[in-house]
Amino acid sequence: MAIDKITTAAITDGTITSSDLASGAVPNQSAFKNIIINGDMSIAQRGTSVSSITGSGYNTVDRFRTNMGTAGTWTQSQSTDVPTGQGFATSLKMDCTTANGSLSAGSFLIIDQRVEGQNLQYLKKGTSSAESTTMSFWVKSAKTGTYVAVLQDMDNSRSISKSYTISSANTWEKKTVTFPGDTTGAFGNDNAASLKVQFWLVAGTTYSSGTLQTSWGTTTNANYAVGQVNLADSTSNEWYVTGVQLEAGTSASDFEFLPVDINKKRCERYFFKNAGNSHIGYAPSIGDNYRHETYYYPQEMRASPTITVTWDDQGSGTGTPGMQYIATQTADIYTNMGNTTNIVAFSTVQGDAEL
Amino acid sequence: MIRNFTSVTKHYDKSNTFNAYIIVENTVTSFVPLDEANTDYQAIQQWISEGNTVIDNGE
Repeated sequence: MAIDKITTAAITDGTITSSDLASGAVPNQSAFKNIIINGDMSIAQRGTSVSSITGSGYNTVDRFRTNMGTAGTWTQSQSTDVPTGQGFATSLKMDCTTANGSLSAGSFLIIDQRVEGQNLQYLKKGTSSAESTTMSFWVKSAKTGTYVAVLQDMDNSRSISKSYTISSANTWEKKTVTFPGDTTGAFGNDNAASLKVQFWLVAGTTYSSGTLQTSWGTTTNANYAVGQVNLADSTSNEWYVTGVQLEAGTSASDFEFLPVDINKKRCERYFFKNAGNSHIGYAPSIGDNYRHETYYYPQEMRASPTITVTWDDQGSGTGTPGMQYIATQTADIYTNMGNTTNIVAFSTVQGDAEL
Repeated sequence: MIRNFTSVTKHYDKSNTFNAYIIVENTVTSFVPLDEANTDYQAIQQWISEGNTVIDNGE
């Protein structure tokens, strides 16, 4: 039905039903439709720029992990370079600072996000009703050519790859790739990583010498990223991404912007870092030399987090730090001051329960 | 991927119960709970399986 034929009368008489709508005519508009967290790159608790990256780990923008081996040296930053008029304020930028024009077979550079299986059950993976998913994103690169996006099922060692083309150098382009549903291999209904959503940027022959696996199947290294350009071949190369959205269905809907407090809460399930000097853990003596502080995280975490504390004892004693317990909502942090008088201040507390 | 820990030490709480690992990595010291869902805990187990030794200073 053409849009100009939809009249008030047509709606109020109840003759328009869901069966009248073509498949995909009304994209998924449910709340929290985006499987990706922090897809607008707005939260960067660890910092806004990290240089000299040669290995794997989380660097700047929350929830987006760098995976790298023998692929040059990079600076990652939260950039304000964004596509015009789309509502985004930030992007994730990868900037090559030391090139590698002669990749090793095992070279790789991937930006990924890992998703808990319990958040993916509605995709009905591993059943005859498995849902397709569509990923949309804005991307800009100095290097044109073929790039590869991959969904990797970590529970069943299965994967699917789709290529996309960056046509114009240094120009924001919106890309959409659709992955069919997978009727084999269910995601675990738990808090472990079940799905990796990957953007490949560099792939040595170990990961590119086969045939691109464009249908779901058992993971084969050589089929991961066939055709992927080598983004590490020049220090002029940069790659930006923002507006990453993965949703159920075969079409891409508008990016789902979340309020910053909601977005940050979602990130804090995996990582938090309080503002410097914002937390004073004054803990009076209870008759011994220990000072305790029950530290409440800003959000219940995915798992008991790794805790990193920076503290200063406010006196002449030298505290010996310890943890009485670390749970998913709180940790009991203590220090042995060696006396019953000095107090202790925690200047920063960081918790990491990333996938 | 095997992590490059500078050291991994058993941590005992005030009741002398082993309840965490203390890791030093890139000069940063952190406490890793004994939670199998924690990826640092998983990395420590892999690091141990590669033949590395955890420091145990006892209770």
